[in-house]
Amino acid sequence: MKPLEGVVLALQQVWAHKLKSAFTLLGVVIGVTFLIAVITIVEGMNRYVKEDVAGSLFGVNTFTVVRRNRVQTGTQSVQERRRAARNPDLTLHEVEIVREAVPDYWLLSYYQDRYGLEARRGDNRYRRVRLIGGSPDHSELQGWDIERGRGLTTLDENRGLRNAVIGSSVAERLFPDGDPVGGEIRLGPHRFRVIGVFEEQGGLFGSIRDAAVLVPFSTYRQNFSQSRNDVDAISVKMRTEEEFEAARLSVEAALRTDRALRPGEPNTFHFETSDDILDTWRSISRILFMAVPGLVAISLVVGGIVIMNIMLMSVAGRVKEIGIRKAIGARKRDILLQFLAEASTLSLLGAAIGILLGIGLGYLADAIFPVPAAVPAWALAVALTLGLLVGVASGIYPAWKAAAQDPIVALRSE
Amino acid sequence: MNDNDIIIETRGLTKEYQMGSETIYALRGVDLEIQRNEYVAVMGPSGSGKSTLMNLIGCLDTPTGGEYILNSVAVQGLEDDELARIRNREIGFVFQTFNLLPRASALHNVELPLIYAGVSSKERSERAKAALERTGLGDRMEHKPNELSGGQRQRVAIARALVNEPSILLADEPTGNLDSVTSADIMDVFESLHEAGQTIIMVTHELEISEHALRTITLRDGMIESYDAHREQRPVGV
Repeated sequence: MKPLEGVVLALQQVWAHKLKSAFTLLGVVIGVTFLIAVITIVEGMNRYVKEDVAGSLFGVNTFTVVRRNRVQTGTQSVQERRRAARNPDLTLHEVEIVREAVPDYWLLSYYQDRYGLEARRGDNRYRRVRLIGGSPDHSELQGWDIERGRGLTTLDENRGLRNAVIGSSVAERLFPDGDPVGGEIRLGPHRFRVIGVFEEQGGLFGSIRDAAVLVPFSTYRQNFSQSRNDVDAISVKMRTEEEFEAARLSVEAALRTDRALRPGEPNTFHFETSDDILDTWRSISRILFMAVPGLVAISLVVGGIVIMNIMLMSVAGRVKEIGIRKAIGARKRDILLQFLAEASTLSLLGAAIGILLGIGLGYLADAIFPVPAAVPAWALAVALTLGLLVGVASGIYPAWKAAAQDPIVALRSE
Repeated sequence: MNDNDIIIETRGLTKEYQMGSETIYALRGVDLEIQRNEYVAVMGPSGSGKSTLMNLIGCLDTPTGGEYILNSVAVQGLEDDELARIRNREIGFVFQTFNLLPRASALHNVELPLIYAGVSSKERSERAKAALERTGLGDRMEHKPNELSGGQRQRVAIARALVNEPSILLADEPTGNLDSVTSADIMDVFESLHEAGQTIIMVTHELEISEHALRTITLRDGMIESYDAHREQRPVGV
């Protein structure tokens, strides 16, 4: 008897006993649903982080020079971290080095920042703004669009004017009833005039921007800075990926020369690129990916045991049928294949349902949370293969029992 | 084809089995010959060994001693798979309780032996339909057994038994679950099958049924007590 016959017969059996089949499938359905849902969400996050977040947080073809790596990736050793703690600060001097190393840059900016300052207007307070003292090209390089008013200019910088561009959350809190532009706010003890509002970013990582207040670098140095020449970060944006690579190497060489670093000595500064956040994400997703197989395996094993037990009961209840089949010529292997096909069909059906539910759950999560879902094809293949394996593994014992029935004894049973 | 072809020959056929510490001698050396196109009834009280004999002839079981030659092939030493093949090709069973698959249509029931014989789907369907039509059920092929009367179910069983053109039709109390009218119908079916050349062996405990056959083998205590011919064998074709 051809295997396809077995599958068709098996599907007929499943359809004939819908309720029993539904219970049988439960374990496998749950396992596969979970597997697919998690993979869908994680894959969606992968793409989101790569395309949206990395691009928007760090900019495309952009690198930033900082004193040391601020992003925890878990890939640094304790030694490396200790050494990095001793790195010298960046100053305006380094800004000039960078500027000279990349004369063909598209955009260059630098800034100092601090967290925790309070912004006030009358009784309205925003407790912890991120106060940034940035060079004139700062917001353009970061890709922060202005929604109302204008951004900072060279004039603001040169004159050290107390003008500020504020984030949307700050604007909402301090100016609930009117147009912020032209309004006055207090940053710490100082009075500033709002000249613009940034576009709302929202989302998982955008809330940082919405709580920002940007003032000219020189103004910040004058009014807020504890170390007046220090610079927290220097960013360079290039037009193409090739230029970006070349520029980074050029800056690295220039800084190393300036600091008299010998070949083989590690950098006493760090480059931030979008790869950093990808690394962070990768270490998070790695942990997720390690936990998932364990949980899925448990559900599938349980599901397999359920299938095996239901199949055993099924075999016990169909002893007469097996006797009839053997009497009219079914060999042991025909019976074995028949029941194996039933178990496998059940399991595959469970996997298919699990796939549909998993995709559904993934897209549901997408609708509720700001995380896009994406179903990779390999996940479907894995799920179906697992379905088949579980079916065969759990069906083999009942199928063997069925095949071993003595036809005479079987025919006598009820 | 020689009318005197011997289809079944047994020599010293014996079957013993253990029940706890006791040995049961179900058959104690049965010698018999059945020729092609014979119509034989097998009778005997319970414990006489007639069920055991039928199981051995039908290759559902193997003897513990003696020989059984079916269509010139010695089957007593064959393996499970080979016996299954013989059951599929050479034997057609008809049971007292019909033994149809309850959740399959009449057509699918009749196709089953052909499925196990590896026949293609198209040919299977044609042959099964033809078999059902021959037993008068051409218009009920899609019915399930619970939608058919007892007599109809037995006809489906007969169609299934014949679909692979077996050497022997083996019937075990074929009218046991049927009323007298339906029983007579089924006996007519057997009669026409016999006239068309089929070899029929029928176990029964009812004398009137046994008289439809041409001779009766009576068993007692695991041995043959008598062979009685009570009707003339009509040559095939007349």
